[in-house]
Amino acid sequence: MSTSRPPPPPADPPQPSRRVVTLAVVVGSCAIAAATAIPAAAFVAAPIGSKGNPGRWVRTLRLEQLVEGEPKRVAIIDDRRDAWTIERGVELGSVWVVRHGNEVTAFSAVCPHLGCSVNVAPEASAGFACPCHTSAFEKDGKRKSGPSPRDLDALATRIEEGFVAIDFKRFRIGVPEKVET
Amino acid sequence: MSLFSRLDDLLDERTGHRQLLRHLLDEPVTGGARWAYVFGSALLGTFLVQAVTGAALMTSYAPSDKTAWASVHYIQFTQTGGWLVRGLHQHGAQAMVIVLAAHLLQVSLFGAYKKPREITWWVGLALFAMVLGFALTGYLLPWDQKGYWATRVATNIAGTIPIVGDATQKLMQGGAEYGSLTLTRFYAVHVFVLPALLVGLVVTHVALFRKHGVTPSAKANLKKIDLFFPKQVLKDVVAVLGIVAVIFLATWNEHGAPLDAPADPSSDYPARPEWYFLSLFQLLKYFHGPLEVVGTVVLPTVIGAYLFALPLLDRKPSTALRGRVGALVPLALIGAGAVGLTLQAQHQDKNDVAFQKQRVHADERATIANRIAKEGVPPEGPLAMMKRDPELRGPELFDKHCGGCHMLRGHGSEKERTAAVLDGWGTEAWVRAMLHEPDADTKFGRSSYKGEMPSVDVPPANAPPTFKPMTAEDQGAVAAFLGASADAAKAARGKAIVVQRCTTCHLFEGKGDDSDLGLAPELSGWGTVPWVRAQLANPATKTTYREHALDAERKGHMPRFDADLSAADLDLLAKWVHEQARKP
Repeated sequence: MSTSRPPPPPADPPQPSRRVVTLAVVVGSCAIAAATAIPAAAFVAAPIGSKGNPGRWVRTLRLEQLVEGEPKRVAIIDDRRDAWTIERGVELGSVWVVRHGNEVTAFSAVCPHLGCSVNVAPEASAGFACPCHTSAFEKDGKRKSGPSPRDLDALATRIEEGFVAIDFKRFRIGVPEKVET
Repeated sequence: MSLFSRLDDLLDERTGHRQLLRHLLDEPVTGGARWAYVFGSALLGTFLVQAVTGAALMTSYAPSDKTAWASVHYIQFTQTGGWLVRGLHQHGAQAMVIVLAAHLLQVSLFGAYKKPREITWWVGLALFAMVLGFALTGYLLPWDQKGYWATRVATNIAGTIPIVGDATQKLMQGGAEYGSLTLTRFYAVHVFVLPALLVGLVVTHVALFRKHGVTPSAKANLKKIDLFFPKQVLKDVVAVLGIVAVIFLATWNEHGAPLDAPADPSSDYPARPEWYFLSLFQLLKYFHGPLEVVGTVVLPTVIGAYLFALPLLDRKPSTALRGRVGALVPLALIGAGAVGLTLQAQHQDKNDVAFQKQRVHADERATIANRIAKEGVPPEGPLAMMKRDPELRGPELFDKHCGGCHMLRGHGSEKERTAAVLDGWGTEAWVRAMLHEPDADTKFGRSSYKGEMPSVDVPPANAPPTFKPMTAEDQGAVAAFLGASADAAKAARGKAIVVQRCTTCHLFEGKGDDSDLGLAPELSGWGTVPWVRAQLANPATKTTYREHALDAERKGHMPRFDADLSAADLDLLAKWVHEQARKP
């Protein structure tokens, strides 16, 4: 008879604890979530860093077409880049211009309050008025009454070969400071 | 056993659907079924209308700044039944806002936000925000003037939030300015993000509601218990039917939903939000300058915070209205404030002459845009379509470039006019009047040409003895010729007179103007579209108002437009002026 003892049953290989498994599941799931969510979030957030169009000098009408002291709305016509399209010679927006002799002052027609389109007041001598929230401005663009936090945004102008050229810019809306977008 | 119940057994064995159905339908309604409880189901029913019609609309809608308006126009005016689906969706949205307000009012009055239902209430508030989000994003999608301008104000409001405003606004707009990316964003949020969130929140809301059951009013007989099915379900179905009927009627009545002119960033448009945002709109008028943010951000946030805190403010277990008045007073104030501000906004608009005028103008443009788009919208988009339409573009160009001096068919200002009234210009009658009295107030009277053309039959003050008035018959012949009369013989005689008598000063086919004054216009082709076109392009040529038309002593005379207007605009304006002048 053999006296040798049967070999001991093989020991179970060491099992990871339940905690470790849970941790692995959580970490793995988070990795999967992050792998999709982070690129997607970055994709959606892309415009945050985007800048508006830089100012550009756009020729509008001829100086002689302006009547002294009388505000006139002129369309800003230039190329427009919108995401994947480029359009040639379209109306980008409009600007109020007033002639003073051989100089012209220009105001963005976008109301600094909340971005509606500013018009001349019903009595033109009364300056400008916004049709939305009753903001009113003097003829020189100064804030007169209503909710607007600042004056109308003046734009630089110069005369080029008889044409009124305007430095067309847009500004942040609804803040007291005039900052470009 | 019938075949149907055998099949039902078979199915139940495999799915267990009977238990689910029983769970859904046998919910006990403590205190008994009531009409007061219909609003939640009514909202769900209306949402289903929105989901079905919305999905249908998606199959025809194309979100980009060139196609959005055109595709909505197609849905509204061309696609069979398109107006119906669009109308149901638009009126369904308004119905949801109303039913939502009713639901909020009911649960507030019944105290259904109280412990242990706080989370149900908060999820409900989140759903409230979702519905407003749907309304806001949906309003922009047609890319018409109304939606465009109202939404611009809304995103600008987001821009006024301290610190994160600028980033928030760019995130919403998809950039610093409005464009196609704004539309694709709003579209994605409207048709995917919000519905997904809404469904998740509704499931949570309903599950929590089922867990805690209805909140019976304090006076209810708690021993009376109905099952959800059928007594409460019947009331719910009747309510939803009623709402759907109203939505249908409103849709029928308006033949769909209104569509304003296509969004035009350079236009002046009197922007107003949809009626349910009018109170917020009105609020903005009262906070001036640095206080602006109070109206745009602070007050709406305070209202939201109050609603959120309501279950924490009102903690007594009793749902009786007595004892809860204090907690509900702000709610009553908010409600009254909203109604009051809405009425005030409407009242002010009604009495605002300038606003009404702009509104009428905008409506006219909408009518015309909607009419011409029925011929199809070019791939360059609806704005290009409108730019090419004489009926729309003509008056616009005239007002902008001609109306400062001339008048034509009521365009321009009689008070400020410094040039001829163009009504009837180029007709026989006009020529007759011109021959007789060139300096009449409606002709050269106010222009820099006053005194330049002599009358053919009234002798001037220092008339030479040789002055011979032109006979009426000759005048008629000249008018027949210049006015392009159908009477060929008369016109031929007129031509002879023109060549002989008028070319002392005028040119005819390049000949005449013996003393080379360079002032009186070329008469061949006068009154025709090409002549108008040439005159618009440059009055100072041999074929138009002549070489000296832009000289200093002609100050105030018509400028040349060939640099300001495109060739297409010149064509269009010439045609329009010609046509309008001859309109009987």
